[in-house]
Amino acid sequence: MCCNNLRVKKCCFFIVPFQSLAFCLGKELNIHTLDDSEVAGICATSEVIRYEYHVLYSSSYEVPVLYFRACFLDGRPLTLDEIWEGVHECYRARLLEGPWDTITQQEHPLLGQPFFVLHPCRTNEFMAPVLANSQRENRNMNYITSWLSIVGPVVGLNLPLSYAKLVSEQNTKTD
Amino acid sequence: MAEVEEQLPLSPQDGSRSECGEEPPDRGAVVGVAEPAPPSAGSPVTEEPAEDSKKKIDVLLKAVGDTPIMKTKKWTVERTRTIQGLVDFIKKFLKLVASEQLFIYVNQSFAPSPDQEVGTLYECFGSDGKLVLHYCKSQAWG
Repeated sequence: MCCNNLRVKKCCFFIVPFQSLAFCLGKELNIHTLDDSEVAGICATSEVIRYEYHVLYSSSYEVPVLYFRACFLDGRPLTLDEIWEGVHECYRARLLEGPWDTITQQEHPLLGQPFFVLHPCRTNEFMAPVLANSQRENRNMNYITSWLSIVGPVVGLNLPLSYAKLVSEQNTKTD
Repeated sequence: MAEVEEQLPLSPQDGSRSECGEEPPDRGAVVGVAEPAPPSAGSPVTEEPAEDSKKKIDVLLKAVGDTPIMKTKKWTVERTRTIQGLVDFIKKFLKLVASEQLFIYVNQSFAPSPDQEVGTLYECFGSDGKLVLHYCKSQAWG
C-alpha cells in the first residue's frame, strides 16, 4: 500500500498472528526524489530514520495500542531522548510534563523485543466523544483509522487523507 | 508559520450572525475574548479585505461532546493555515488550559496531522463552498 504523504516514502500493512495488526513504515526526514547527480551536496547532511509501527490490542485497557521503534539506516536504534526529539513540536512540551505517562520502552508482547509504547490510558477518553457523535448521526466510522489518525502524528505517523476519504465514501454509499 | 499568523488568519463571517439566535455575536465582544491571547497568536479576529477572499476558505467549526461551542461558528481561514495553527487558535478562543488537548476532525472522525494545511483539506473534504471541521477537547495522555 502506498502513501502519498510527503514525509512518508513507503508503508505497508501486514497481518501478524493473534489478531494484531502490524504497521511498517519507512520515513525519510529529508525527501530526495531527484537523481544523485542533481542532489549531490544537498543531501549530504540528510539523516534517514526508519520507523516501524505496530498496532496491538491491549486486553487490560481494551483499546488498541501503538507500539513503535525507530533506527537509523545503519541499524542503530534511536534512544528515548531521540524519540522525544521526533515528537511533533505541538505535543512535545505538553507531553514532556509527564513523559513516563506518555512514551516508555516496553517489551513487544509478541516479538519479545524492546519497543516504545504510546500509553493507552486515555484512549477511551478521547475516542468516546467521536464514537458517540458517529453513532448519534448513524455514520460509519473506522475505529482503528480514527484512533491512528489521532495518536500517530504524535510519533511521526501521519496517515494520508485517503484513509479519511475511504470512510466518507462508505458513508455516501450507505446514505 | 510566523508570516501566516501575522496575516490575521481567521476572520468571522457576517453570515454567522444569523446562526446564533438570541445571542448574536457582537464582533467587539469576540475581539475582547481573543485579545488576551499571547502575541504569537496574532490577532485572530479581524476583518479581511474582500479581494483576499479567493485565497481563503470558509470553515464551519462544530463542537463534539462536552467541548464548549464557539459563538462564532463560521470563519474565513487562510489556505496555508495548518491544523496546528487552527488548534492553537481554538484553544485560545475557548480559553482552554494548557493541559487540555484539542483535536480537529474531518468527516467527524479523522484527525488530520498537525502540519496539514486547511487548503488541502478543503480540496478533499470541502462541500457547498465550505469546509466543516469538528473539534473536541480531551485530556489525552498523561
